[in-house]
Amino acid sequence: MELYRNSLRITLSVWKALLLREALARLFSSRGAWFWLVGEPVAHMAVLGLIYAGIRQRTIGGIDTLIWLVLGVQGFFLFRRTAGQMAGAIDSNRALFSYRQVLPIDTVLMRGVLEATLMTAVMAVILFGLVMMGHDIRPADPLRVLFAFIGLWLLGVAMGLIVSALSELVPEARQIIDLTMRPLYFVSGVLFSVGSVAPPYRDWFLLNPVLHGIDSLREGFSPYYHGVPGVSMGYLYDCAFIGIFIGLLLHRRFADLMVTR
Amino acid sequence: MIVVEDLYKRYRTDHGPGRWVLQGVNLVIPPRVNVGLVGRNGAGKSTLLRIMGGVDHPSRGTVRRECRVSWPMGFGGGLQGSLTGRQNAKFVCRIYGRERDMPEKLDYIQAFAEIGEAFEEPVKTYSSGMRARLKFAMSLAFDFDIYISDEITSVGDRAFRRKARKAFSDLVGRSSLVMVAHGESTLREFCDAGIWLHEGKAHWFDTIDDALKAYNDWQSV
Repeated sequence: MELYRNSLRITLSVWKALLLREALARLFSSRGAWFWLVGEPVAHMAVLGLIYAGIRQRTIGGIDTLIWLVLGVQGFFLFRRTAGQMAGAIDSNRALFSYRQVLPIDTVLMRGVLEATLMTAVMAVILFGLVMMGHDIRPADPLRVLFAFIGLWLLGVAMGLIVSALSELVPEARQIIDLTMRPLYFVSGVLFSVGSVAPPYRDWFLLNPVLHGIDSLREGFSPYYHGVPGVSMGYLYDCAFIGIFIGLLLHRRFADLMVTR
Repeated sequence: MIVVEDLYKRYRTDHGPGRWVLQGVNLVIPPRVNVGLVGRNGAGKSTLLRIMGGVDHPSRGTVRRECRVSWPMGFGGGLQGSLTGRQNAKFVCRIYGRERDMPEKLDYIQAFAEIGEAFEEPVKTYSSGMRARLKFAMSLAFDFDIYISDEITSVGDRAFRRKARKAFSDLVGRSSLVMVAHGESTLREFCDAGIWLHEGKAHWFDTIDDALKAYNDWQSV
């Protein structure tokens, strides 16, 4: 073995080891854990789809209802799972900090990367299912869809970084995720079109960056989609990058406290 | 060689900063010398080992590791409960960048730990003795210049203790050992030099007998 490795090589090998370790835990920790990765969002969509497409209407804002729903649910799940998984990373990897190469931020970041990978696979499965059901899944503006997904993921990363750092300082911070996720689900336009909200209140909804991501997804899918006026991807990215900056800052500042206890 | 300079350590408690555990520790762990750490409970022995191993941070002062230092063996942690023994061993091989000769390392760890079929079972099903065996085997699979061990020789059954002892004595002349143990016979058997941790300061003794004597004299007062 060569005597000394440089810091970058150490970090890269730690990342690889953590990624594989997390993937194992995420896919096989309990019976059928891998199934529920796809099963949870699909069940979610199935119930909503039944209500919306079956009972209410064929299209929402000029776009296939099922596609509209799938994009909303997947976009939101991508954000929520990334944030939630990253927030719990330090706690579930505490045993591994007895190796000095492994830093808290490594575990948090790798969970984010893993979640992006898994959600891509989940999305592929779901899109395949939609094709089989005879829906047109070709987006009008694929790049816009891609950037909206990436933006939502980055926003999840930002939230995950901040909450994971804060929860080491204030143990109650984990509750923030549970507390904010539920109302966030309702104000993000997953279930209803925020465009149908009357103007003075709509502006309040527009403060929520997740909504911008989800409606950008839908706009990218169909040029005829008339969603919420004032949606901008720039706002989503601004929020994500500011959040990531704050999260990294917290991790840098309080790194010592996190392993020490 | 590990150089510890003017090391201070205190922990955070729920009521603000706690008492100083270590106050101005200065010491050098020379190469190829086995060192035993003695002191009463709560004197900061484990804290010092953790800081030397790089998994805890000093409140003040510096630690320089000028060689390959093992992770602190024998502490809680180091094994991920949901993964099997083999997966844990693979994880450690990977973070040490030893993917190329991983099969040999895994064979060695499996053979040394002697935990049989349990190697393929999740670590959370292990007994404390089995965990200790696995951790010990993992750390011996890598060549370190200094092994840091906290009470590891006191866990496990007699056969394993004998094996551990033999493994450590094989390391003499190649690597050194910094250890904490409460059994005087264990310390005398393994260690050349001793450090007595007392009231936040470290006192170096060239022989372990002197260290134990100083410690015992203080205790009997």
